[in-house]
Amino acid sequence: MRDATRVAVLALLVAGCGAGEEPAAAAIDVATTTSTRDSGLFDELLPAFRGATGIEVRLVVVGSGAALRMGADGDVDVLVTHAPEGELELVRAGKLVDRRPFMENHFVLVGPGDDPAGIRDLPASAAFARLAERNVHYASRADDSGTHRREQALLREVGLDPEAGWPAVLRTGAGMGQTLQVAGERRAYALTDIGTFERFRTRVDLEALSPPDASLRNLYSVLRPNPDRYPPDHLDVEGALALADFLLSPATQARIAAFGKNPSGRPLFAPLFAPGSEP
Amino acid sequence: MSPLVWVGVAEVALRTLAVSASALLLALALGLPLGFLLGRHRFPGRGLLAAVANAGMGLPPVVVGLVVYLVLRRGGPLGSLELLLTPPGMVIAQVLIALPLVVGITLAAVGALPPDWHLQARALGLRGPRALWVLAREIRLGLLAAVIVALGGIISEVGAVQMVGGNLEGQTRMLTTGILMYTQMGRFEDALALAAVLMGMTFVLAGTLTAIQQARRA
Repeated sequence: MRDATRVAVLALLVAGCGAGEEPAAAAIDVATTTSTRDSGLFDELLPAFRGATGIEVRLVVVGSGAALRMGADGDVDVLVTHAPEGELELVRAGKLVDRRPFMENHFVLVGPGDDPAGIRDLPASAAFARLAERNVHYASRADDSGTHRREQALLREVGLDPEAGWPAVLRTGAGMGQTLQVAGERRAYALTDIGTFERFRTRVDLEALSPPDASLRNLYSVLRPNPDRYPPDHLDVEGALALADFLLSPATQARIAAFGKNPSGRPLFAPLFAPGSEP
Repeated sequence: MSPLVWVGVAEVALRTLAVSASALLLALALGLPLGFLLGRHRFPGRGLLAAVANAGMGLPPVVVGLVVYLVLRRGGPLGSLELLLTPPGMVIAQVLIALPLVVGITLAAVGALPPDWHLQARALGLRGPRALWVLAREIRLGLLAAVIVALGGIISEVGAVQMVGGNLEGQTRMLTTGILMYTQMGRFEDALALAAVLMGMTFVLAGTLTAIQQARRA
């Protein structure tokens, strides 16, 4: 009966006014990182999720730091982030549960094609040391996102102050797409996830300069707030589990593997579970 | 909050003041004469210009931001000026937002005068700049309303300065874009600090202008 109502309401919405209020019963709030949206991946996956489950997803697109905070505070039903240390810390603290890695790609250092600092093919940490030494423009997200946290870890590795960086660092406080645009306009270097970069590379005049190495691995996980910390109806646990199961399902994993292959022949994200096998 | 944080807030507040004041002065310098002209004189195309000014009062700032962004970006028509992601670029966007407000309200204020006002002025022996000065005093309520509305439009604006300025720390971060950013990052204390400064600034400026506007009115 409830499902019938849900279907009827959805059908009315689709047939009638189009962009109206979603019915509260069939919508979950998902905090996710800018890279999953800016790369276009969620545009691809979410309609399939809605089709399979009838659940609407309200995306809150923020940096991983903010997404983790929203999850820890129970402001959203599910989160998709790429900041493994921060995720595990909150899982250990009992604030988040059910962490499931489901895909990965890598970060890449990008910059102007003529590469004024000469970092092409250097390992990431050595490249950062040289950027600082030459004091060249570098566009930093500076937003406590997963990408920003990785940048800080790489700076720490070569003995640089992760907060201060060097004088020519531009701090956008913004998402990956906008930061890449700033880097393109200012002929600056930037650290980006490869997914967002592939999506933007035709629009910004930047090239991938660093080879993928282990220090640039980028792991995406789905997590949810610990339901024991909230009153029974505070979180949509059912919807959260449905999304996690969906992301790890063979069909979605295959979809992730196929996503974005056209521009370069390389996929933007690699699923962690080979399509066809049960995760 | 630590003193260091307040230094950062002050830096952002001063930039906001400087950029907004520059934009306001430019918008007034261009908009007041244009408003007078449209309100006082009849010439071909006047109706169209007045309609454009009035329509422009509802111009969405994000649209202004988008257009200015596309014009100023590297490879855009004015890309060689390298004004994108700089304070002067933000001033350009804010002037475009404020200009229709100044022109439209000035136009309305001038239009509210009796149609034979200039005959009366002439009868009183007022000519040229003196006549204009008396006219301005006569309609100062409306003119100051134009200033207040333009200031409000500029200082509270977030979309266009975000797009054109890029919210770069130490370079183009404004109070509004900072509030937006800190809220998205979940740093609500910092967002509130900037919001408090913005509210205080707006209130003091609007209050001062109101005092001028209402001075010596019985």
